[in-house]
Amino acid sequence: MNTKDTLLDILNDIDDSIDWKEQKGLVDERILDSFCVITLISDLEDAYGVEIEAAEMIPENFNSVDAIWDMITRLQEKL
Amino acid sequence: MAYHKPTYLFLFLPILLLIYQIAPRKFRRGVLLGAGYLFFWSISGKLVLYLIGTTIFTHYIGICLELQESRKKKRLVLAGGVLLLLGVLGYLKYYNFFAENISRMLEAAGSGMIIPARHLLLPIGISFYTLQAISYIADVYWKKIPAEKNLMKLALFLGFFPQIMEGPISTYGQTAEAIFRCDPLRLENLSSGAVRILWGLFKKIVIADRLYTLVQAVFDNHENFGGVIVFIAATAYTAQLYMEFSGCIDIVIGSARMFGVKLPENFRQPFASRNAAEFWRRWHITLGEWFKAYVFFPVSVSGPVKKWNRYGRKKFGKYITKAGASAMALFPVWLGNGLWHGARWSYIFFGMYYFAVLMAGIMAEPVRNKIIKTLHINEDASWFKALQIGKTWIIIIIGEMFFRANGLRAGIQMFQSMFGRPSGNLMTLGLDTADYVVILYGCAVVGLVGILRERNLLDGHMLRNLKLPVRWAIYYGLILAVLIFGAYGVGYQQVDLIYAGF
Repeated sequence: MNTKDTLLDILNDIDDSIDWKEQKGLVDERILDSFCVITLISDLEDAYGVEIEAAEMIPENFNSVDAIWDMITRLQEKL
Repeated sequence: MAYHKPTYLFLFLPILLLIYQIAPRKFRRGVLLGAGYLFFWSISGKLVLYLIGTTIFTHYIGICLELQESRKKKRLVLAGGVLLLLGVLGYLKYYNFFAENISRMLEAAGSGMIIPARHLLLPIGISFYTLQAISYIADVYWKKIPAEKNLMKLALFLGFFPQIMEGPISTYGQTAEAIFRCDPLRLENLSSGAVRILWGLFKKIVIADRLYTLVQAVFDNHENFGGVIVFIAATAYTAQLYMEFSGCIDIVIGSARMFGVKLPENFRQPFASRNAAEFWRRWHITLGEWFKAYVFFPVSVSGPVKKWNRYGRKKFGKYITKAGASAMALFPVWLGNGLWHGARWSYIFFGMYYFAVLMAGIMAEPVRNKIIKTLHINEDASWFKALQIGKTWIIIIIGEMFFRANGLRAGIQMFQSMFGRPSGNLMTLGLDTADYVVILYGCAVVGLVGILRERNLLDGHMLRNLKLPVRWAIYYGLILAVLIFGAYGVGYQQVDLIYAGF
């Protein structure tokens, strides 16, 4: 079972110069742009076995590590 | 009738406000809906039936979606609904374009077959209300909103009179509730709405309609012009389009505000953008948001893109994978954006132009970041910002030149002639020195307001908080500017709204 640390590994793989845990406006401040999100989606699906639909593609779900983690756990509960 | 014309400003809007105010609250929804259909009918006559038909169909699809239990059936209903809405739009808007081009191809291949053209009438605003209807269906499918049981509420959302001609394209969650609530008129809303309308008229009548004369003179006779004058005409068209479209949206937002409805903004100082991607987040914002939510993201999470991401990571690495996935998601967005503007090759080219510009930006990003790091460039330095803004202006102006040109061939010829021998004279394009002075001062005023807004020094409340004499001096100044410097009378034409044609 992959944990929150896996999420940090995935994000660090995108850019390891960012302190991901500290950021609260990843999308709003354009640290994570739409194109990064596209590749991130596949990585999250593979790591956590969830399916992320277009309806989930809102800034609130990607603005921070906690928000992404909340989305993942919510989607895992649906399985 | 159009939003900038006296029939709307001095007849339709005041009479509607009066009827709305004296009508009992329970009838106000009917008044607004009747006004929407009357407005539509005044431009497109019996084609108002398309809007009514779309409303009933969208309502039915929304309820069907909610009734379905299985995901597969929900998907089928969604696909059916979207395809039918797009089918009607596609047939009315693009049938003749495709018929003509297929006939040409058949002719070139030696076949004598011709697909006949049809006389098709396009209802006003179909490109806007169709997108709103699709967004409603998709949002119900995604359970962002419940299906609307009340047909009247959905009808008001799709047929709200200020949004019919040029948007802004709103989602159901953004505006339906406020329109349906039918709040009583409030002095505060009436005055802020009126000022916004006045500001829009200033941009449209004082600046845009003057620039139209110059733009038309060059674009309609482009063979006679070369060199810098072509670039000036392309710049003038970019300014005309902005002043006109944003001016019309000001009138639209102001009109809605009078009834207590806050519509989404469509422009946010687009000429302060530092790259093309940022420009499209600030220009025609609601169209960009629509494409992002209902095309870009659904394609991004589709099977082929996910498969590519997994395959690309293994075979080609991060850089190529990101570029490929971005291209797969951006291509339908920009093809759709180009086609949405109309059935012309130049619009398709316009879409592909921005697709290429944005892809170039994504591909060049690592190199760009490396250069900035190596040269220790401060990205927030004024000179660097100015350089980026200047570069973005050139990209925008060239794009708008192709957008306005009378066909793709004319656009290519104009682009080439920009680098050729200068020919043409600014003083023979239908404008005199006084016109140029008005245009320059007008643009300076709009530019100054833009700078203040960009620096958060100006917002809607600020005007209200000014001392009474100062506030009224601004109001009278705007009224006088529109009355005295407006482009009407001998030598000027009543210029139709460009985006109403889309």
